[in-house]
Amino acid sequence: MASFRKASVRQAGIQQTSIHNTAAVTLVLATCLTSAAFAESKKEYRFAVGPNAIVSVDTQYGAISVKSGSGDRVIVTATLKSDNVEVDQQQSGNRVEIASHLLQGANEQTGRVDYEVLIPPDATLNLHSSIGPLSVEQLHGDLTLEGTDAVVNISNVENCHVHVRTMRGPITLAGVRNGHVEIATISGDIHLKSVTGPLVLASSGGGRIFYDGDFGAGGDYKFTTHTGDIEALAPADVSAEFRVHSVLGRVHTDFPLLPHHSRYSMKAGSSFVGTAGKAESAVVLRSFSGRIRLKQR
Amino acid sequence: MAAGKGDLTDPKQGITEAEAIEQAKRGHEAAFEVLYHLHKRRVYSLCLRMVSNPAQAEDLAQEAFLQLFRKISTFRGESAFSTWLHRMTVNVVLMQLRKKGLPVVSLEETLEAEDEAPRKEFGTRDVKLTGSIDRLQLQRAIDRLPPGYRTVFVLHDVEGFEHNEIAQMVGCSIGNSKSQLHKARLKLREYLKFMRAEKAKTG
Amino acid sequence: MTCSDVERVLPELFDDASDDTFPPDLDAHVKSCPACSDLVSDLKLIASEARQLAATEGPAPRVWVRIAAELRAEGLISDSATREPKSAPRPTPVPASGSPRWRWRALWLAPAAAAVLAAGAYVISYKQVVPQVAQQAPTPQAPAPVIPTATPPSVPATAPQQVAKKPANPTGVNGRVPAVEAAVEPEPSAEDQQFLSVVSTLGPSMRATYESQLNAVNADIRETQAYVDRNPGDADARQHLMDAFQQKALLYQIALDRIQ
Repeated sequence: MASFRKASVRQAGIQQTSIHNTAAVTLVLATCLTSAAFAESKKEYRFAVGPNAIVSVDTQYGAISVKSGSGDRVIVTATLKSDNVEVDQQQSGNRVEIASHLLQGANEQTGRVDYEVLIPPDATLNLHSSIGPLSVEQLHGDLTLEGTDAVVNISNVENCHVHVRTMRGPITLAGVRNGHVEIATISGDIHLKSVTGPLVLASSGGGRIFYDGDFGAGGDYKFTTHTGDIEALAPADVSAEFRVHSVLGRVHTDFPLLPHHSRYSMKAGSSFVGTAGKAESAVVLRSFSGRIRLKQR
Repeated sequence: MAAGKGDLTDPKQGITEAEAIEQAKRGHEAAFEVLYHLHKRRVYSLCLRMVSNPAQAEDLAQEAFLQLFRKISTFRGESAFSTWLHRMTVNVVLMQLRKKGLPVVSLEETLEAEDEAPRKEFGTRDVKLTGSIDRLQLQRAIDRLPPGYRTVFVLHDVEGFEHNEIAQMVGCSIGNSKSQLHKARLKLREYLKFMRAEKAKTG
Repeated sequence: MTCSDVERVLPELFDDASDDTFPPDLDAHVKSCPACSDLVSDLKLIASEARQLAATEGPAPRVWVRIAAELRAEGLISDSATREPKSAPRPTPVPASGSPRWRWRALWLAPAAAAVLAAGAYVISYKQVVPQVAQQAPTPQAPAPVIPTATPPSVPATAPQQVAKKPANPTGVNGRVPAVEAAVEPEPSAEDQQFLSVVSTLGPSMRATYESQLNAVNADIRETQAYVDRNPGDADARQHLMDAFQQKALLYQIALDRIQ
C-alpha cells in the first residue's frame, strides 16, 4: 500500500499539514532543536525508508554533506543561519525531498542552511547547492550533484552512476569503483583519484583535469578541456589504448606506447595514438589549447 | 518466456506491482516511479545489448517506458506486466533498427561473405573456452556480432524468449531463428577464442 | 555419425544451455570426438553465461527525469493525485529577490540554451559544407540571426523540456536562423544581455559570476571559431567548437535550474 505524506516545516517547529487519502503508514519523525543565539537554529528530520530510496536535497546557499547511515532511515540535520530561511520537507513513498526555502530579504549569509545527511548506502541521491560545498561518502546508489560555485567532493562510492555538474566549482572524486561517471564544468578543475568504471567522462572548459589511477575496468575514459591542461598519471602496467590530441597545445607521454596508424599520429608534439599492455580500456584525452601529459607513476 | 514472472513487489514502497499499476492508472507519479525502478535494469540492459550504444539505449528505454505508461490504462493483467513491457521494448528497439536500415534478421549469404570473424589461422585452434567467460569479454563479443545475429542471440540467450516468440517479433521463420542463434553462438565462440589468444600473446 | 552431421543437426537439437538430451548416436559421437565435445561444451557455456548479462546495467538517473517530465507534459501524471493541495509548499527554493515576473522570464532560458546548441551545430555544419565560402565570409550570408530575443510570453509553457533534447534542426526556436554573432562579436549580444538580466535576480555577486563565465565561454567560442575559419578541414577543431557551444548551453541550463 502506497502512502504519501508531506509536511511543511516552519522554523519554529514542524507543522504537519496533511496526510494523503491513502492510509499513511510511512513514519516521519521530525524533531526540532532551536538555539536562541543569533536566530541560528538546528533541526533534525527522520524518515523511515526501504531499500533503494531516493533522497533529494536542494539549497541555494549552504553546505550539504551526505554519508552512509543505517539502511532503513534518512536523517537530516539542518542548521539554519537565520529566520529568513525555512526548510521544506516532503516524503512520498520511498522518496524524500528536502529544500531550503528563502524568504523575502534573505541573502547569502542569512539564507544559508547547512545540511548533514545520513542515508542508506544504496539510496539514489540528488544534491543541488549554488555555493556548496557538496560532499558525499561511501554510497553505492546513483548520485547526481549540481552546483554553481560549489566545491564537490565524492569519495568511496561504487557500482553507480555519478553525474556532477558545476559552473566553476572544483570537483574531486576519489575511490570510485565500477562507476558510470559523467562530469561537466565550465571552468572548474576536475580531480579524479582512483576512479574506474565502464564509463568515465569529464569535461571542463577553462579548468584543468587531473587523473591518478589505473584506467581499469576495460572502460571508456574521455577527458576534454578547452583551455585547461590535462594530466594523467597511470602505473607502468596500465592496459589501455590512448588517443591524445591538443589542437593548439603540446602533448607528452613517458609511456612506451605501441603506435597506431591514425590521422592523429601524424602530428608529432600535438597528438599521439598508441596502446599499452593489453589495451583493455580506451582513453581519449582532448584539448583545444591546453597541454596534455600522460605520465608513468 | 523467462521474462514473464508473476507479480512483483517493490519492497521500497511496500506495494505490489499490481497495486502500483492501479495507482499509475490514476496518475500517481510515485506509482509510475515504482514501476520504472522495478523494471529499469531489465529494459535498459536489453536495449544496450541490442544496440551497443549507451546513449541510444537510454533513448530507447525511455521510449519503451513512455509507450507502456501511455497505454497503462488498457492493461488488464491477461499477461504478466513484465512480459508486456519487454515485448514492447523489443518492438521499440526493432523499429529503431529498421528505421536505421539495419537488418533485424541476418541476410545470411551477404553476411557470410562480409563476415570479418576471426578465423582459425589466427592461431586460436588450441584455445578452449573452458571454465567461465569474462562478462566484459562476452559483452564485447556480442557488440561485434552483425546486428541480425545479435538480435536473435540477445532475445534468446540473454533475455530468454522462445524461438516462436522471436520469429513473431522479428518476422522470420522459427527455423531461421534457430539457425541464426546457432551461427551467432559459433561466431561468439570464435571471437572469444580470438580474444583469449590475443590476451595470451600480449600478456 | 560424423562431425559434419553434428554440425548440421546441432542448431535443431541444442536449444538452451541446460539441454543435455541428445539422440544416442549423436551423444556417442560427441563423447568420443574431442573437437565436437569442445564445440558442444563451449556453446553451452556461451548460452549459460549470456543469461547473466540480463539486467546487469542500469540507466542513468536522467532517464527517469525525462520520462517523468514527459508524463507530466502529457498529463499522465496527475498533480492532484500526486501532490497535496496548496496548503503545503513545494520544496522549491525561490530567489531572495523573487518577483513573480522572474518565473516567466526564466522560461526564455530554456529555448535559449537549446538555441545555443543549435547555433553551434549550424555553424559547424555550415563550415563543414562550405568551408571555402566560410573562409571568405566569416559571417554567413544567411538571414539575420538571432537567437531568441523572443519576449517571454511567446515562449511555450513546456519550454523547459526542450533543454533535455538535442535541437532537431539548426534553425533554433521560432523557426529563426540562429545567431553566429556570439562567435564573432566581442560585444555582448542581445541574448547574452537578456541572460544577464535574468540571472541578476540571483543577486549582484551571482550576476558577476555568471557574467565572467559567459565572457569566458564566448571567448572560447570566438577563439575556436577563428581557428576553424582558418582550418576548415580540421574535424577536431570543429568538435571543440561544438564543445564550446555546449559549454555555453550548460551555463544557460545551470542558470535555468537555479531560477526556476
